[in-house]
Amino acid sequence: MDKNTLLSLEKVNQLSLTDAQRDAVLAFFAKQEEDMAALNAIDTSNVERMVHVMPILTVVREDVEKKLFTRDELQKGAPETMDGYWQVPRLVE
Amino acid sequence: MKFETVIGLEVHVEMATASKIFCSCSAKFGAEQNDHVCPACCGMPGMLPIVNKKVVDLGMTAGMMLNCHINRTTTFDKKSYYYPDLPCSYQTTQWFAPVAVNGTVEIETANGKKAIRIKQIHMEEDAGKLVHDDWTDTSLVDFNRTSVPLIEIVSQPDLSSAEEVVAYLERLRSLLRFAKVSDCRMEQGSMRCDVNLSVRPEGSDKLGVRTEMKNMNSLSAIVRAIEYETARHIDAIENGTEELVQETRRWDDVKGKSFAMRNKETAGDYRYFPDPNVMPIVIDDAWYDSVKASLPEFPEVKKARYTTELGLSDYDANLLTDSRALCDCFEAALAVCGSAKEAANWLISDCMNLLNRRQMTADQLTVNGTALGQLIKLVADGKVGRGNAKKILEAMFEADLDPAKYAEENGYIVSNDTGLIEKVIKEAIAADPKAVADFKGGKEKALMALFGKCMKQLKGNCDPQVLRTLLIDEINKA
Repeated sequence: MDKNTLLSLEKVNQLSLTDAQRDAVLAFFAKQEEDMAALNAIDTSNVERMVHVMPILTVVREDVEKKLFTRDELQKGAPETMDGYWQVPRLVE
Repeated sequence: MKFETVIGLEVHVEMATASKIFCSCSAKFGAEQNDHVCPACCGMPGMLPIVNKKVVDLGMTAGMMLNCHINRTTTFDKKSYYYPDLPCSYQTTQWFAPVAVNGTVEIETANGKKAIRIKQIHMEEDAGKLVHDDWTDTSLVDFNRTSVPLIEIVSQPDLSSAEEVVAYLERLRSLLRFAKVSDCRMEQGSMRCDVNLSVRPEGSDKLGVRTEMKNMNSLSAIVRAIEYETARHIDAIENGTEELVQETRRWDDVKGKSFAMRNKETAGDYRYFPDPNVMPIVIDDAWYDSVKASLPEFPEVKKARYTTELGLSDYDANLLTDSRALCDCFEAALAVCGSAKEAANWLISDCMNLLNRRQMTADQLTVNGTALGQLIKLVADGKVGRGNAKKILEAMFEADLDPAKYAEENGYIVSNDTGLIEKVIKEAIAADPKAVADFKGGKEKALMALFGKCMKQLKGNCDPQVLRTLLIDEINKA
């Protein structure tokens, strides 16, 4: 993790870190990279790829349409609505 | 210097399911805003996704139709980005183990045949829709489309012209519609295309700066956008008119120009990671084999069979194989009536005419093929006149009915009552002696006028051959 990558991540996550916080994050990741390098040094070519941490598979459902909620129920907690839409601050200038 | 264009496509196709990918809300297009929503597809805290099995079936089907390898263990991942049409602030998609990889699609243009490599097909959820309201200066969010299932088909950068792109998209559309993966209606947004384009000196193996144009949903706009963007890149390289940067651009079809939207994100920006809420899906042999067994015959194989085995013309075979619904109806009708030519004629002329009048496409044909075959047989056996058969067909567009029973109930069965036919003929002759004289004088058309009057009087319920013979006999007696 270099400083440019961190600045890019700050931007996409809408964060603004201080220089001291940045140094702490970079130091943290430097340590992680060291640990990862140690792990990467292990030969895992005979180990099957782990696709999920839990040894269980997903449950699938049949393609059946059901209407369980009305729009009004779902919009009860909305700060603003208009004509059945959720209303949010304007996004495009 | 000569340049060549390098194009890769990401094609999003909405899958033909009744419900959404991770919840049971309707996936139907065109409902009132926020009518097809629930806490899961609105991203409310604590809701968990449950995968729709048909989405996996159709993902596999698409992969098999495009000659892909199917990943027997396939997983979902989170793709993070912030936008109000994405209520969870991440899209559930597939990054690490997509359902299908490494396929090919063969296209044909004026330059001959070419294989386009498919990098991968992944399943994912669609985002919602935003409407920008000038009056209140706010944005309005509709989550109906959120979580509607999509597949994204990612090609390798093997395409080199607008013509090839159109051929590729038409081929994809034909295969996916045939396999009933999607209706691929670009005008409704159920097939959308992102065009990744770069330009490089001819013969070079190094790719140029790539730009992406997103969400193109008409073939003509795609052609214009590719031509414009190619010219812009070449101009920038040759004349230094601007600095090319990797970015996402918006195509404005009215102005005929593309405009920069934002710097192109890279995979790292999206912070993909395995979705802990959706466990891996393992496709066992039984599941794989059942999908494989459901694949349709490819359109070109069907076309060859229709011409060589069934004796249809290239023209008829082309029209029929343009739509899976037409083919299914044709084959069911043929199994009953036994005449490929008659079944094709009824579909291509009469059914298409009725579809056009209803502003429907061939894929929306709902006429029962077996019933159509029975109707054709009733006409061939002389039990129902062709005119009345057309009326019965029209009724068959509205309801699934038994044509023989309907003909009986509505008085459309051809009459064998020669006494009645002769009475009608005599009346027609008596009412129009000029037509009789004209026919005797050699005017064939005069016979048709009398024939028409008789048939009208008999309400179409008469074998045309019988009527013609009896009519000529009666005129000769007169």
